[in-house]
Amino acid sequence: MNAVSSSTAQTGTRPDGAGGLVVRNLHKTYSLGRVKVPVLRGVDLQLGEGEFVAILGASGSGKSTLLHLIGGLDRPDRSPEGKDALIEYRGAALTRMSATRLDSYRAADTGFVFQFYHLLPELTVLENVMIASMVRWGFGYISHRANALRDAKQLIEQVGLGHRINHRPAELSGGERQRVAIARSLINGPSMLLADEPTGNLDRNTGAAILDMLLAIRASRSLTMLVVTHDEHTASRADRVVRLADGLVVKG
Amino acid sequence: MYQLLLTRRYLFSKIMPLLAAVAVLLCTAMVLVVWSVMNGFLGMLIGSGRTMTGDVVVRWPNAGFAYYDELISDLVKLPEVEAASPMIESFGLVAFPDGRKVTVTARGIVPESFSAVTSYYDILHWRPIDKPMPKDKDKEDPRLHGIGGTTWAQILDNGKKLQRPDAQGQMKPAVVMGIEMSRWNWRSPNGFYEPGTSGLKMPDGSTKMVDNFMPRDSSVLLNLVPLDSSGKAVEMVTRSMPVANEFQSGLFEVDERVLLMPLSVAQDMLKMNAAKRVVKKAGAKAAQDGKAVESFDDGSEELVDDPARVTDVLVRAKGDVSTTASSLALLAKVEGVYEAFALRHKGKVPGSGSISIMTWEQQNATMISAVKKETVLLLVLFMIISLVAVFLILAIFWSMVAEKTKDIGVLRAVGAGSTGVAALWVSYGLAIGLVGSSLGLGLAYVVVTNINPIHDWLGRALGIVIWDPRIYYFINIPNKVEPDKALMVFVAGVMSSALGALVPAARAAWMRPVRALRFE
Repeated sequence: MNAVSSSTAQTGTRPDGAGGLVVRNLHKTYSLGRVKVPVLRGVDLQLGEGEFVAILGASGSGKSTLLHLIGGLDRPDRSPEGKDALIEYRGAALTRMSATRLDSYRAADTGFVFQFYHLLPELTVLENVMIASMVRWGFGYISHRANALRDAKQLIEQVGLGHRINHRPAELSGGERQRVAIARSLINGPSMLLADEPTGNLDRNTGAAILDMLLAIRASRSLTMLVVTHDEHTASRADRVVRLADGLVVKG
Repeated sequence: MYQLLLTRRYLFSKIMPLLAAVAVLLCTAMVLVVWSVMNGFLGMLIGSGRTMTGDVVVRWPNAGFAYYDELISDLVKLPEVEAASPMIESFGLVAFPDGRKVTVTARGIVPESFSAVTSYYDILHWRPIDKPMPKDKDKEDPRLHGIGGTTWAQILDNGKKLQRPDAQGQMKPAVVMGIEMSRWNWRSPNGFYEPGTSGLKMPDGSTKMVDNFMPRDSSVLLNLVPLDSSGKAVEMVTRSMPVANEFQSGLFEVDERVLLMPLSVAQDMLKMNAAKRVVKKAGAKAAQDGKAVESFDDGSEELVDDPARVTDVLVRAKGDVSTTASSLALLAKVEGVYEAFALRHKGKVPGSGSISIMTWEQQNATMISAVKKETVLLLVLFMIISLVAVFLILAIFWSMVAEKTKDIGVLRAVGAGSTGVAALWVSYGLAIGLVGSSLGLGLAYVVVTNINPIHDWLGRALGIVIWDPRIYYFINIPNKVEPDKALMVFVAGVMSSALGALVPAARAAWMRPVRALRFE
C-alpha cells in the first residue's frame, strides 16, 4: 500500500469531479533578495486517472514550479487573500502531509524525469535505477533486493540499455541518460509520472524516441502523466494541453 | 541502505575524502604514539623500583640502624613478603685507571638476598648468551664469543658473588658498576654493548692502548667518607676494588651512578660494622625539684658493643603490588613490623615515627606526579591539535555537500527524507574516521614497536636525539601499545570524524529539494 492510498482512507474527502489529481488556488512566490517574484498566482488544475496532460508555456511561466509542487518537492504559499492552496492526489492532500508522508509520496506514488537527467555520476546504470528502490524501502530493501534487482534489469532492458548496465553516466549519450532516468522513475511502480522538459536537452530524433517510449510506458502501465514542455510538438501528443502564462492557466 | 552504497562510492571517487582520512590517520597515530610512550615511561618509572630497590624501603640514611637481621627475620615472616635484604647507601668517589673521577652512589649489598628482592642477577650484563639479540644480525655481541683467560660464566659468577680472583687466583671482594658509569662501553645501535679501548698513561710518560673491558685486569679506586655519630665526616677511606661485572638496569641514572659492593666492605669502610667502641659515659643526677632526672657528661668513658648497621632494608612483596592500594597495604604491614621492632630496641634504633618507610612510588612521588601531569598535558595538547582534523573534515564535507547538492536534490526527489540525507553524510564521516583511525592505529603500532630503531636511525642519519636518557632516565624508549588505550583513541578518531561531518550533514538535510535540484 502506498502513501496516498493510505491517506485516502484518512482524509475521506474528494473534491468534486476529482479523478487523480486536483490542484486548487496554487500560489508560489520566490524571493530574489528583497524582490518578491510571484511565479504561480492561483493555478487550478485537474487530471483524471491515466490522463496525459502537457503543460505548455514560455520560460518563466511557472510550469516547472507547478510540477515541483505537484511532485511534493516544494510547498505552495498561501494566496494573497490568506487562503490555503490544495494539491490532492487520489484523495490525499499533499498540502497537509507531514514531511515524512511527503517523502513516501515522492518515493512510491510519483516518478520524476528531469530535463538534465540528474543521474548520480558515481553510480552505474543499474545502481542509478536501484537507488530509488533503496530509498523507498530503507532497511527493508534487504528483503526486497532480489525483486528490485529483477525489476531494475527488466526496466533497463525495456528502455534498451541492457548492454550498458554497468556503465557510468559519463559513458552514456544524452538520450541514454534520459532512458536511465526514466527507468529510475518507474522502479517503484508509481501511478503518476512527472516529466520536466524530458526532451528539452535532446536532439529532435532522440527526443521523439524518448517521447514514444514514455507514451508506450504510460500505455502499458496506465500511468497518469504530466509533462512540462515548451515544445508544441511534444504537447500535441498529450490528451490535453494546459497553457500557462505569467503564473496562471490561460487555457485548460 | 543507499547511504552505504553512496558512502562507498564517494569515499574512493575523490582525493579530498582520502586527504581527510590521512588527517585522521596522522592525528590518531600521533595521539596513540605519545600516549603509549608517556604511559610506558610512567609504567617503567614505577616498575623500575623493583629492579633496584624492591617494593618498600625502610631507610635511616647516613647513620644507619642496627639489629637489621632481626628486622629482616621479622619481615620475611609476613605472608605478604617474599624477601628482605640489608643495604648501605652512601655517596662516594670512584677514580678510574685513566685518571677520571666520578661521584657515585655506592651500595653495599648481600648479593643473594639483594637478588631475591631486586632483579640483580638478571641485570648483570656480562654473561654467556646463546643467541644474538634480535638486531645483531652479524653476531657482533662480544658475549657470543670467547673471552681470553676466563669464561663469561665465570664473570657472571663473579658478579653474583661480588668477587674477582687476583693474580694469584685468590678471590677478593669486588664491585659491580652500572654499565654507563665507566663510559668505556659503546652502545651499538644493534642493542649490545661493546667495550672500547683507551690510552693509559704509563709511569714513563708513554701511552698504552688498553681494552677497557670492566676494565680488564685493573681495579678502580673507591673513596667513601664515614660519618661519626654527630654526622661529621671522619676521614676518607680509600680502597682499590677489582671490578667483577657491570649491570644494566635500563634506568640510565642508576646505570650511570650506582656501584654495588659487598655489604661487609661497605660497613667496614663506613665504620658501620660490628665493633667495640669507646663512648662517653653519661651520668645522671636529680634535678633541683627532686623529681626529674638530668643527664650530664661526667668526663668518663666506657667500651660498648656497637652492632653492625645498615641504612636500608629492602622489602620485596609476594605477587603483584603494581597498584597503589596493594603497595600501600604492604607498606602498612611493614610499618607494623617496624613499630614492634623499634619498641623492642627502644633508644637503640630510630623510633617508628622518625624512620622513613616508603614505597618506591612514594619515594619518587614528585617525579611520578610530574610525569603524570606531563602526560596529561601532552595528551590535551595533541587532542587540541587533533581538533584540526575535525575542522578539516568539516571544511571538506562542507565543500562536498556544495558539490553534491544536485545529488541531494535527486535523492530527495526519489523520496529520501532529510534524516536519511543527514545519515548519508554522517556515515560518510564515520567511514572516513574508520579508515583513518584504523590506518592510524596500524601506523602507531608500527612506530611504537619500532620506536627505538627509528630513534637510533634519527640519531645516526640526522643527528636528532629526542629521547635523551639523561633526561628520561631510561636507555630504551617504551615500546608497547596498550589495547585499551588503542581502542579509546580509535573510538575518539571515528567520533571526531562523525562530529566534523555533523554540520555539513545538517546543512544537507535542511536543503529544500527543489533548491538543491536547481543549484548551479
